[in-house]
Amino acid sequence: MAGVGGGNDFQWCFSQVKGAIDEDVAEADIISTVEFNYSGELLATGDKGGRVVIFQREQESKNRPHSRGEYNVYSTFQSHEPEFDYLKSLEIEEKINKIRWLPQQNAAHFLLSTNDKTIKLWKISERDKRAEGYNLKDEDGRLRDPFRITSLRVPVLMPMDLMVEASPRRIFANAHTYHINSISVNSDHETYLSADDLRINLWHLEITDRSFNIVDIKPANMEELTEVITAAECHPHQCNVFVYSSSKGTIRLCDMRAAALCDRHTKFFEEPEDPSSRSFFSEIISSISDVKFSHSGRYMMTRDYLSVKVWDLNMENRPVETYQVHEYLRSKLCSLYENDCIFDKFECCWNGSDGAIMTGSYNNFFRMFDRNTRKDVTLEASRESSKPRAVLKPRKVCTGGKRKKDEISVDSLDFNKKILHTAWHPKENVIAVAATNNLYIFQDKIN
Amino acid sequence: MLGKGAKRKHDKDDDGLEGDAVVAAGRGGGPSKASYTLQRQTIFNMSLMKLYHPRAAVEPSLERRVLINNMLRRIQDELRREGGAQPLPLPLPASPPPEDPADEGFREPPPPPPGLAPPDSCLTPASLLEADASLFCSSPSPHTLLFHGAPSRPTPSPSPSKDGFSSALDEIEELCPDVATTTSPPPGASPQGPQLSPMLPAGGDLKARKPDVRGVVMATDPQPGSLDMSPCPPLSSSSSSTTSSSSSGFLTDLALDDILFADIDTSMYDFDACTSASGTGAAKIAPVMTADDLVKTLSPYGGPGTGPTSAAPSQPFKMDLAELDHIMEVLVGS
Repeated sequence: MAGVGGGNDFQWCFSQVKGAIDEDVAEADIISTVEFNYSGELLATGDKGGRVVIFQREQESKNRPHSRGEYNVYSTFQSHEPEFDYLKSLEIEEKINKIRWLPQQNAAHFLLSTNDKTIKLWKISERDKRAEGYNLKDEDGRLRDPFRITSLRVPVLMPMDLMVEASPRRIFANAHTYHINSISVNSDHETYLSADDLRINLWHLEITDRSFNIVDIKPANMEELTEVITAAECHPHQCNVFVYSSSKGTIRLCDMRAAALCDRHTKFFEEPEDPSSRSFFSEIISSISDVKFSHSGRYMMTRDYLSVKVWDLNMENRPVETYQVHEYLRSKLCSLYENDCIFDKFECCWNGSDGAIMTGSYNNFFRMFDRNTRKDVTLEASRESSKPRAVLKPRKVCTGGKRKKDEISVDSLDFNKKILHTAWHPKENVIAVAATNNLYIFQDKIN
Repeated sequence: MLGKGAKRKHDKDDDGLEGDAVVAAGRGGGPSKASYTLQRQTIFNMSLMKLYHPRAAVEPSLERRVLINNMLRRIQDELRREGGAQPLPLPLPASPPPEDPADEGFREPPPPPPGLAPPDSCLTPASLLEADASLFCSSPSPHTLLFHGAPSRPTPSPSPSKDGFSSALDEIEELCPDVATTTSPPPGASPQGPQLSPMLPAGGDLKARKPDVRGVVMATDPQPGSLDMSPCPPLSSSSSSTTSSSSSGFLTDLALDDILFADIDTSMYDFDACTSASGTGAAKIAPVMTADDLVKTLSPYGGPGTGPTSAAPSQPFKMDLAELDHIMEVLVGS
């Protein structure tokens, strides 16, 4: 339906799709994270094969005013390699769990990428000039015979084909025993946090051999472990505040000024359970898979298996808004537990104005909720609706009874096609949706 | 339902099991109690399968293990509260705190309490964990090893084991005075003798039986062998369905956490290493039952009390044994 994310005439259109088309999807090509940078000019993706691909938006062309700038490949590099933990005899996956951009401070771009164990700071820089006319060496690099040099010349900078280089500037390793699930750059632009299942560490971007442990929920006796950390994020403006979510559906807000070890939270967010909907799976579906602050810093959003909740940081006892993503799955939880889909970790994101939120679902569906109008829409990322500037048609899942035309029944949903990662441009209505090994980019239609 | 988008006819009975059970969980009783119990049983079995047969080749996620473990614990607690009988005294986890700061894992298996030293046919994982670790990986079929105890260990004397089990025995005799032994004890059965055979009267009413008691029995009466995956067929759905879960419940209390949370040196204790070493052995486990399949297997048995009409009286007992044996297999990760 029109109206989500913008005015009443608002509609989403297909813009681009990246990735191979064939049915056989290589495991390494599965996209595992998507992130726009602060300006929206760059869009980074990480995949299970440990690679990072960065797309850059073209300048808007005057020749084609109706198509906004397209995203084209800017840089590709291998961020992480598979490793082997000899102590535990286990493989360490090279899958990129998260990418977070640093705010741009000079011509180069910096991002943090992490797998289960190691975080790396990458510098992506452009080179479009090279010096020509050296005295001591030829153009092809061979040293000139010094006796042959009869005159001096000043090397001149000549333009060359643009080369984008990615180089690892810092490697933050050996600080996490458990699998890293989140990284978050602090608003001071000097520090960042990394969270694994049981601990959260605070790093300085310049220092790789040391990090501060600020949260540790590991029990003395591991048999008593019943709750793990699932996500963490720094507050966008207050550099002393961060939140972390748990597998029991709770969020803790901590203030680093209070103590060196933030095991005691400053605020504790939890919604009391609805007794009428209690089932065997209540705990599992309450596990929070993602937590994101709003750009304003006033709200935060959490994603659990069936819903997205918006919390006011000033109110701990319940969320201010709850949006059902795919409530029709509630009666299928047993099957979803059997095939492990119930453990899928969906992410969520805000739009630039915090007026709309987006999250993924199954069958390559993704959902958008407009917080102001309370309208919601289900859209699909599919090759069928991939004609240039084609308007996306809203989809509907039929939950029972008669199935109307164009509706899809719950039993026909493809649970292998899941959209876990989505990103919204920080300023414009451009969204990136990762569907397995394909990246879809949608834009609003200019009316 | 979970295929690749293939269309199916809308079947109203499709979600009968799930729907009923959810409703039953909400309403807490009435005619849906059986389906609630059935679903609980299904989920319990599924959870065990997930923990002991992880699909991924890499280290499974800690969150997933914790959530499944919590699920199992919750079901066990519920069964205990419902059962009411004194469960087997479980050894409290007695692992010393790790001295090495780098030791992040739960590596120490709890030693069994003296009263519970198991006979060699017993499957308490305490014996499993005490067994020479190298035997796990060298043995071609780990489950046979466990069923018959570690070859290098002498048969534990019956007297200490009697302490643990004799109390259970007494309970059994109290509750089931009209026990009739219908199956002969399997080879290597505990020295406690025929009283420990499943005291299931022929084709009869099992409602008087407390589930935990049967669980006690089953725990000491293992039978190796490849078995049908079906955790059914119970004679009466309410009490039988809790049997295997309670028996596995006692065992899993001992085994679960050790195996779950070992972060270091799991190669010795890790079932996965053994099953992968034994190659296709693990692959021979029948596919996981869906809730739908369970409904189908249950249907020949009708409601409680009717029992199988054509099967011989010993048939259901053998099938119960078979069901439990399979759960033992699952536990030991064959």
